[in-house]
Amino acid sequence: MAVCIAVIAKENYPLYIRSIPAENKLKFHYMVHTSLDVVEEKISTVGKALVDQRELYLGLLYPTEDYKVYGYVTNSKVKFVIVVDSSNTALRDNEIRSMFRKLHNSYTDVMCNPFYNPGDTIQSKSFDTMVSGMMLQAC
Amino acid sequence: MSRQASRASESKKMNSELFTLTYGALVTQLCKDYENDEEVNKQLDKMGYNIGVRLIEDFLARSSVGRCHDFRETADVIAKVAFKMYLGITPSVTNWSPAGDEFSLILESNPLVDFVELPDNHSGLVYSNLLCGVLRGALEMVQMAVDVKFAQDTLRGDNVTEIRMKFIKRIEENLPAGEE
Amino acid sequence: MADEALFHFLHNELIHYAYKSAEQGEVENGRCITRLENMGFRVGQGLIERFTKDTARFKDELDVMKFICKDFWTSVFKKQIDNLRTNHQGIYVLQDNKFRLLTQMSAGKQYLEHAPRYLAFTCGMVRGGLSNLGVKSIVTAEVSVMPACKFQVMIQKM
Repeated sequence: MAVCIAVIAKENYPLYIRSIPAENKLKFHYMVHTSLDVVEEKISTVGKALVDQRELYLGLLYPTEDYKVYGYVTNSKVKFVIVVDSSNTALRDNEIRSMFRKLHNSYTDVMCNPFYNPGDTIQSKSFDTMVSGMMLQAC
Repeated sequence: MSRQASRASESKKMNSELFTLTYGALVTQLCKDYENDEEVNKQLDKMGYNIGVRLIEDFLARSSVGRCHDFRETADVIAKVAFKMYLGITPSVTNWSPAGDEFSLILESNPLVDFVELPDNHSGLVYSNLLCGVLRGALEMVQMAVDVKFAQDTLRGDNVTEIRMKFIKRIEENLPAGEE
Repeated sequence: MADEALFHFLHNELIHYAYKSAEQGEVENGRCITRLENMGFRVGQGLIERFTKDTARFKDELDVMKFICKDFWTSVFKKQIDNLRTNHQGIYVLQDNKFRLLTQMSAGKQYLEHAPRYLAFTCGMVRGGLSNLGVKSIVTAEVSVMPACKFQVMIQKM
């Protein structure tokens, strides 16, 4: 179960960010912002095999005391960040991967909506529904 | 929308996306060029008509369909041959009027609207109106004057997409085709 | 699954639309081309997003150009680019010996004059696709002998 999901444009501003509970919003925004540095590091590393350079999924970006932050970068340089509760030990790597897959598929659909202007914040109902599904899922 | 595509149909699918996206770019361009949805709807119909009058030749050449004897046959050919050939879907033909001069095409899915989410400020837009023009133009070339309009549209919240077609009259052969 | 013919008809109608509301004159001609190019740009962005959804991360600029020439061109035009040349300094020339949007046209002189109209949308698609992959460019095209044409991609340093 995700507590925060974010989509960041290639220019590093948020296209979409949602988190629960509401009072932690600022904290999560900050967390996502911090994670971007780690993302940059992971994808620009040449020679050092920190992560399989060809993979879109970046794995765990960094852990905090209460949370784990995961990252993913598309070929269009859009970043997805998923924050999960650390106490949720049942969540496996392949489940995180599949969450990113869903995000990616929905994002691609948004990009193909002719009424969506690339670079704008995402205001799609079906995207919202997909994200809700990932945030309210029982663990 | 599940897309279990094998390698073979993969490229066909890609090509479909090309059409869908191009159509989307056209609609949004028209929305920018014209002040209101009604005008856009009209333009889409006009452009569809221009396509229809040419498409019919392509269709007749590739489908080896003979002359239709009545409107019912026409409906079947449109649904089972034409739609299948060009859009890869087979709408069902229903809701015939008692006089047999009006019917509905029910589309479970509509490739033109894949990925489309209509924004609130375009509630009057008949997004797929091009199809009405295409049908009208194509049938005019085979001497049938018809009226075509959308009765239901999934983009506007309906469960299915329904195109209503009404036979107006037979056109005399020696009248030249009009181009708008 | 839309038929290829449907795209061709739509593309032709797009060109007709772009030009019918324009007045005579060079300026207008440029504007029409720009309109077509812009529509192509948006389509290119969307297509590339879909096409690269399941591919591995691109290594470099050349990797991206090869993708355009092979995968992208095949998905869109059912064939690959026949020849790719580069000066390794940001200029690429993509040659298509039988460009599908030109094969319908005769090779007569008068059609050669109008050929740019039939290339504008595709130039936009290429530019849009590249843009979405983080590559800024200017894409132009020319026809020497129908139906062969060359697309020139000039990479712009960001």
